[in-house]
Amino acid sequence: MWKDLIDLLFQAYEQFSLLPLFIEIALAFIFIAILSTLVAYSAILYKRYRAYIYDKRMAYISPKIEDMITDQVLLNPNLGMDIPLENIEFDEQTLSDKMYRKPFVRQMLIDTLISYRKNFRGEVGDLLRKLYIDMGLEKDSFGKMKTLRWERKIKAVVELTQMDISISDVTILPLTNSSNPALRAAARNAYIQLSKNEPFKFFDIATEPLLPWDQLEMFKIITTTKDIAIPNFSRWVSYSTNKSIVSFCLKLIAHYDQQSAIPAVMDLLANKDHYFRADAINCLGKLSAEVAEDKLVKIYNNQPLNCQIEILQALGRIASGKHLEFLKSEFLYSSNFDIRMNAARSIIKHNTQNSRLMVEELMEVTDDENQLIIKHCLNPLIKY
Amino acid sequence: MYGVLLLVIYAILALMSFYGIRRFLKKESYTDYKVIVGSELAPGISVIAPAFNEGLTIISNVRSLLTFDYPKYEVIIINDGSTDDTLEKVIKEFSLVKVDFAYNIKIASKPIRGIYKSTDDAYAKLVIVDKENGKSKADATNAGINISSFPYFLCTDVDCILHEQTLQKLIRPIMEEENSRVIATGATLRMANSCEIDKGVIIKIKAPRPILARFQEMEYIRSFVLGKMGWSQVNCVPNVSGGLGMFDKEIAVKAGGYDPTSFGEDMELLMRMSRYVHDNKIKSAVRYIPVTLCWTEGPTSLKVFMRQRTRWGRGLVQLMVTHRKMFFNPKYGRIGMIVFPYNFFFELIAPLVEILGIIYYIIQAYLGLVNWPYAIILLIFIYTFAVMISTIAVLWDQLTTQYYKSWTDVARIALMAFIEMIIYHPLIVVFALRGYFFHLAGKKHTWGNMQRRGFKSSTANPTTAAT
Repeated sequence: MWKDLIDLLFQAYEQFSLLPLFIEIALAFIFIAILSTLVAYSAILYKRYRAYIYDKRMAYISPKIEDMITDQVLLNPNLGMDIPLENIEFDEQTLSDKMYRKPFVRQMLIDTLISYRKNFRGEVGDLLRKLYIDMGLEKDSFGKMKTLRWERKIKAVVELTQMDISISDVTILPLTNSSNPALRAAARNAYIQLSKNEPFKFFDIATEPLLPWDQLEMFKIITTTKDIAIPNFSRWVSYSTNKSIVSFCLKLIAHYDQQSAIPAVMDLLANKDHYFRADAINCLGKLSAEVAEDKLVKIYNNQPLNCQIEILQALGRIASGKHLEFLKSEFLYSSNFDIRMNAARSIIKHNTQNSRLMVEELMEVTDDENQLIIKHCLNPLIKY
Repeated sequence: MYGVLLLVIYAILALMSFYGIRRFLKKESYTDYKVIVGSELAPGISVIAPAFNEGLTIISNVRSLLTFDYPKYEVIIINDGSTDDTLEKVIKEFSLVKVDFAYNIKIASKPIRGIYKSTDDAYAKLVIVDKENGKSKADATNAGINISSFPYFLCTDVDCILHEQTLQKLIRPIMEEENSRVIATGATLRMANSCEIDKGVIIKIKAPRPILARFQEMEYIRSFVLGKMGWSQVNCVPNVSGGLGMFDKEIAVKAGGYDPTSFGEDMELLMRMSRYVHDNKIKSAVRYIPVTLCWTEGPTSLKVFMRQRTRWGRGLVQLMVTHRKMFFNPKYGRIGMIVFPYNFFFELIAPLVEILGIIYYIIQAYLGLVNWPYAIILLIFIYTFAVMISTIAVLWDQLTTQYYKSWTDVARIALMAFIEMIIYHPLIVVFALRGYFFHLAGKKHTWGNMQRRGFKSSTANPTTAAT
């Protein structure tokens, strides 16, 4: 039988080789296309089957894990008894259940513990962490750190951070400057959360940019993590050569109202990059830096539009009243719509007797379009 | 040779798309979008949705657009001179009052008659613009851009149903690009026909039951998940759909906004924005993400479908003529050297090549010059390869997210691949050629009335759709 089959294939090949080249290519492509289509269908079926099995397993295992955590942690009789955490023991038999040796279950367990820990702090949070360590899940996370796959490394970094397990500087610091943006961001976030002494040390060595998306998460971590030592961010504003770090520090300076940073921020007004200058002006406005007002007005005429608008907004935030006449003249005489709009907003933002009188006066002397701008800015229904 | 080249390009796109999808999924596995929801650093986004005679569905449409999970956005609905009760309905439903609204006309559009804001704080994000009919979506969107307050705008159709995470997901590629300025982002669109919808929110995703809409779903999956996602990997996205696209406002305005005379205004805008950034030496990118964030009603009647595709055909010719200087022009980088030539050779002239090929074959057959066994082998080759590409697109879609809960829905879509070439593809070719002819003949085309049956109760079953 095998011989017949081989003969048949041989004959087919002989006939195939007699065909013109373009037909040979077409036949080869037909074979590839049919095969690929079949593989694609099989993959669709397999993928859906796997998802189905995963859902089933989840439905079976998830309640068991939750029950175990409830029994061992949430309803632990030693909780609230002033017993030191290291003396609280879990039920050995439960923890050594065969089910918890399977990698799939262990990963689910880690994910569930992390989700619980987000909701529980204090003693319960610490006990969840102890359970994570006692079950050896910490080793699983460190194991992932050693892989070459960046997404696995990120998962490990996130797990260890959420569980407040310290990672040595030697391991984490190089990752904060990784060329992979995602890994870099995760490592930086972890470093801030885990480093007890100098959480912002990586700002000194960061050469890779801190992307706007990463700034969102880092900003949240910095502003919501308890017991984090907040430094004076003007240090990096003055010395960092990494523009994104400086830009981020300006946002933090404004958020923490670091008045001592004002001189360093004012130095940036001489920077060549106008986007940078705009960030600095914005920061000064948010700091209500009255000392910067005169300088802002002085440099105003030499600035591009984005910086001019930031200066007008800053004057509105500072609202000292010293430069109301300047705002008035910009409103009346500028040909640029955005300038007039922002000047009007800033005058109104002063909300003083003088500014209110000025608005009334402007309504009388100015043209229809400018009157419309004032009405727009005064209308509480218009937010932006 | 032409067909082989096209199929090889599709195969390469499939590979690039696979790479992009894998990378996207890896990132998604650890991304916590809640971070942006509560952040004061999130950039503001203006959602712009023109409406023309949408009285039947306008309330649920507006409510749907107000459900985004994003900290800083506004929804601008432009009533483009509707002749029905669209405006009256929204005024009543959302407690609107006319306000003195100052705005700067950066892009030309038909005059605005009034701007309305709600006295109810719950609708503080809503802005309704009432303007004279500009006979095009482009004109209405331009008016919306003039009114908008934020540096990014999302362009959509008022009847589109958008996912609540649309803004967070589309802003992400803009915020995480390292070396370029992302001027536009897009995501996948699907058909809303047959989906279960409640108060403007998708409850259950189903494959469309009407055959025409199902063909389009297959086509959209292939075009977005495989095509645009593939092109995105090499920064060569040719188009960001008018149904769902986020744009950098500064660049869009400087490029002149939408062209009201264009029949393919979405593609035309992107081409002009790309042209602007190249002219001004701004390093830029256009990005796509492979998730579905928008559901739209697909035409279910052949007449409406024909009008839609004819218009697209005209839009393509217009685009090629208007921007012909970009053709193989190295000054425009990949847009000039790859995107434009690809659009010319494999989008514009493809229907012509196909129709001429068929005519040539008929003549050859009449003269008895056709080698039938070879001809059949070549036909099978084209057919099997097309089926393969479409099936791979369905697979990639399934890898991204399993939108359809039932196996039968997947089968319904996947099986379209086998009959698409015989039924659907010839229609597209004929309607595109009709569009080319209309362009050459200078036939007038008016922006059609977007009649809709609307999403009644929980199941969508529209009979007519956007023209």
